[in-house]
Amino acid sequence: MRMVPNPMTFIVLFLGVSSFILIMLLPAFLELKKPRDAGPRTIMNNIVTIPQLPTIMEDEKIVLDQALRQKIASIIAFLPNLEA
Amino acid sequence: MTAYLIRHYVFTLAVLNHTSRRKKAAVTTKNEAYQPPVSILIPAHNEERVIGRILQGMTKLTYPKNKMQVIVIDDASTDNTGETAEGYAKSHNYIKVIHRKQGEGGKGKASALNIGLKQAQGEIIFCFDADYYPQSDIIEKLVAEFTDPKVGAVQGRVTVLNEPQNLVTRLVALERIGGYRVDQQARDSLGLITQFGGTVGGFRRSLLESLDGWDESILAEDTDLTFRVYLAGYKIRYVNDAECYEEAVENWRDYWKQRYRWAKGHMQCAFKHSLKVLKSSNLRFREKLDGLLLLNVYFMPVLVPLSWIVGVLLFFSHPPQWFSIFWALIPFSLYSFVGNFAPFFEVGVGVYLDGRTRAYWLIPLLIFAFLYNVPICTKALADLLISKILGKNCNHWDKTVHTGNGNSYIIN
Repeated sequence: MRMVPNPMTFIVLFLGVSSFILIMLLPAFLELKKPRDAGPRTIMNNIVTIPQLPTIMEDEKIVLDQALRQKIASIIAFLPNLEA
Repeated sequence: MTAYLIRHYVFTLAVLNHTSRRKKAAVTTKNEAYQPPVSILIPAHNEERVIGRILQGMTKLTYPKNKMQVIVIDDASTDNTGETAEGYAKSHNYIKVIHRKQGEGGKGKASALNIGLKQAQGEIIFCFDADYYPQSDIIEKLVAEFTDPKVGAVQGRVTVLNEPQNLVTRLVALERIGGYRVDQQARDSLGLITQFGGTVGGFRRSLLESLDGWDESILAEDTDLTFRVYLAGYKIRYVNDAECYEEAVENWRDYWKQRYRWAKGHMQCAFKHSLKVLKSSNLRFREKLDGLLLLNVYFMPVLVPLSWIVGVLLFFSHPPQWFSIFWALIPFSLYSFVGNFAPFFEVGVGVYLDGRTRAYWLIPLLIFAFLYNVPICTKALADLLISKILGKNCNHWDKTVHTGNGNSYIIN
């Protein structure tokens, strides 16, 4: 036997679904009316990247690239001489 | 469909995990010393409103200009695209313009890119769409990935430039956040099939040539190339820090045209590659699984109207016994309402990671974009099947119009 749905069921269902949709979309409508989002996203230029240490493993010893050694030496040269 | 649902949550969690790990790491290192010669291809068909913007962006790139070649393919334009590009070529010796006449050009992006590839001299071949605007150090960031010999291609992040313009651009921006910040990042972190998006990406020239360049018979030439790269045993890396602005479609009509092309092209790729992916010895199980999900994703919206129709019929009629088998489609209907909150969750996490708290508020509106995709994908499948049965060419490239409205959002 087929069950005939009560008309009240339809009304409650309709009101329930409508209210749910309205509540769900309300923030979106508010944001569209008065946008507060800071878009578009600002992309960052020239993010500082550090040169990868070009290391070569030789017999379990880490050998640093010659150019990098000089670079490190020049950085260390700026440091105060603690022995003086 | 359950597989897609699970995939959305897995991707989202993977990105959250990846981001927290990156935050813990003190410094991210990139090999800046690796600077091979590169060629940048910019196909342009009637792009006079935006071509100047990307060429201006190219002149601002920090990559050594003596190692860089920019090739604009003026693809049978009937406007001033060629003249504008020539203006830049005169003042910058690394910019070159190839003019294609009416009849030989205008056959789509893949055809234009193949012409550009023949003239390219770089070791790495990048492609950018004419409506894009790159950040100045994007090439350094992308090129660094090629130090790994297993990497055949690289993909950067796409960010919508004209986002505040209207509802459509805002929704496209949200889709892009979900697609790149979460989907692509997750695929990269989990070692799955990272997708080349057709722009803001590059390939090893040797690989591209061995694959015979772009397939002109496929509308989604980017997805096709993605799978050919993976099937050849190479990987594609995604670099989230390498960002580039795009001008998003501004109205629902252009949105339809663009998504229809994507859907149809993707379905072509599914027919072409699904079996190859399953049989491939170069792909691991998880890559095969993700590859199949990626290839077949545009078929999913087609199941939705089918399930709705069957659901309504079953509700209001007393169907014969044999019809009861279609009850199986009810879960699809249910999924289309409930399951699709998974991609919304994904977009939400992407927005959160970008620090855009107020953009959350627009996420529920994505349901309209999803509903709009249902007829788009259904028509794409119907047209594809009809053209296959009739043996007709279905590869007409319906170009997206770019208005140049995004120019006003560029901060110099």
